[in-house]
Amino acid sequence: MAAALLTASKVTKIFGTGHAEVRAVHEVSLEILPAEIVLVMGPSGSGKTTLLSMLGGLLKPSAGSIVLDGIHLTALKESQLPEIRALKIGFVFQAFNLLSALSVEENILFPAQLRAGGIAAARPRAAELIEKLGLAHRRRALPKTLSGGEKQRVAIARALINEPKLILADEPTGNLDSQTGQEVMMILHDVARDQGYSVVLVTHDPRVEDVADRILWLEDGQLRDRKSEQHNWERDPVCGMRVDEWTATEFTDYKDHKYVFCSSRCRERFDKRPEHYLTKREQSADG
Amino acid sequence: MLVWAWKSLIAQRGAVLGGALGIAGSFILVVFFHAVFRGESGQIVAYPEHMQPDVWVMQRGVRNMHMATSSVWDWKADKVADIPGVARVTPILYLNSVITAGNQKSFSFIVGLLPDDHRAGPWEMVAGREVSSQGETVIPDVLSNLLDVSIGDRVTIADTSFTIVGLSTGTYSMANSVIFVAFSDLERILSSSGTYSYLLVDAEEGIDPEALAGKIRREVEKVNALPHEEFVENDFAIAMQMGVEIIFMMTVISAILAILIVCFTAYSLVMRKRRELAIAKALGMRGSAVLFGVVFQSCILTLFGFAIAAVFAMIVIPYIPLLLPQLSLTVAVSELLQIGVTALLVAMVGAIIPAYLVLRLDPATAFNV
Repeated sequence: MAAALLTASKVTKIFGTGHAEVRAVHEVSLEILPAEIVLVMGPSGSGKTTLLSMLGGLLKPSAGSIVLDGIHLTALKESQLPEIRALKIGFVFQAFNLLSALSVEENILFPAQLRAGGIAAARPRAAELIEKLGLAHRRRALPKTLSGGEKQRVAIARALINEPKLILADEPTGNLDSQTGQEVMMILHDVARDQGYSVVLVTHDPRVEDVADRILWLEDGQLRDRKSEQHNWERDPVCGMRVDEWTATEFTDYKDHKYVFCSSRCRERFDKRPEHYLTKREQSADG
Repeated sequence: MLVWAWKSLIAQRGAVLGGALGIAGSFILVVFFHAVFRGESGQIVAYPEHMQPDVWVMQRGVRNMHMATSSVWDWKADKVADIPGVARVTPILYLNSVITAGNQKSFSFIVGLLPDDHRAGPWEMVAGREVSSQGETVIPDVLSNLLDVSIGDRVTIADTSFTIVGLSTGTYSMANSVIFVAFSDLERILSSSGTYSYLLVDAEEGIDPEALAGKIRREVEKVNALPHEEFVENDFAIAMQMGVEIIFMMTVISAILAILIVCFTAYSLVMRKRRELAIAKALGMRGSAVLFGVVFQSCILTLFGFAIAAVFAMIVIPYIPLLLPQLSLTVAVSELLQIGVTALLVAMVGAIIPAYLVLRLDPATAFNV
């Protein structure tokens, strides 16, 4: 078995003190292997993003240790972390987080400022990523003119510019429609399979499970067992999409029946006119 | 980082222009006050500047003309005239007093001229003639407009009535206009006899004024003699001293105003781009690099404001006296450069609070949706 790229040991994060104390993550231990795609799932407020922030060196754990590629992140000074983030980790955010004043190419090159040779040395790599991710015709475009899928592709290219060993993605499909989300997942999948990057994905989206090697279930700040084959598939009554009741965060009770939804938008539409979305058979069964 | 900082500024043209105009406004105040002060100070020494004798002779202990009183016996003028190397001695009487026309008053330098003295009189006339007999006066053209008097009208100087016979130009100053009267009239006002205030000494060709001044000091007792340049420098320094505190206060107030505007604008830019700054930090930008970007933006903003103020100073200020002739405005490039340096300090100080915010910005907030 290959040595782990990332090892987290009994990582804990506590916010606040006294009565206001919140234990967001509690003694979480995990290992991420090279070229592995690991999904971190769990209900809202379970500590997924806090865990991701700690793994990415954005947040200092209250206790425990994190070792990335042989470097003890938790032992580093605050001033040493930016370089690790720039060179060892690629970030993909739900909200894309592109810099609005910079073009596609400039956004992709932004983290290259810290690598050896700087931006000039990274230009061939940027050109290659732009080509590979189908952004050649948008090279000089500003983020505001891009579609959601294009923005996320730029964000992925930016995450890959310094050839980090670890990609941390927080809900990368959260702001995308299902088809674009699928495309983005396939890009991340290819990145891990073909180029050997490890990818840690935080998501609510059960459709992403198909591309994952492992699924970690985080609940109340702790990792719990949950086999990936355990599903309870339901149909979203608004869009018809298959939704896993285990992981769904959007649901509502109507006439003593629990309905689950793929997104808050579907739930809101349902809440306004539930009878409109239920078939006559369902309505008569409910009635 | 600088490219991003620059492009972020460009992307917020409205906010940047608004901030720069505010900063420019405060610098324009500084430049304007300096120009008024410099112009007025220049006008205060207009008389000695234009007379240009080689040497000024005055009572011992006196080193200038502005706000000074000097008394030199007439026989000492004869003694000066006898010194080898002296070509001509022109005595004047001089008094700081008030000229009144109707209810309006103006503080002035009153210069008493001997009969047929054209050496120490007005250097440029725009109307009428020079003083030729008692009871006559020549006043500045700008002052005649302000007092609403003209040739033939009467004005009062030190409780004595005079008839305006001529108007001179280049002799007006808000602080001290130069007014010419007959020597005997001023002698009567001063209740003096056989004394002069200053002696304007012209040297023979080839004579060094400094050496001549030294010779006069040695050979004529109880007088001071200074070369023209030194005398004018002393006079200018006194004029500057009298207004320097006011101009310093105005500069400080305007600089504080500029700092507040820079701070507010930079703060607004940081708050608007707070999320992007957090993203930059999350992506590995050091706090110091992001901080440098903020200070860079603050400097660009301030220098932009200063550039607008400088353009105003060089293009608009010279035309203001055409509309307001009573204003003497002089823009000194050296002072503009000083204000430019002040602008950079303003940019640094104005960036302190936004920089503090940037340093405290948590990169983990980049994950917030």
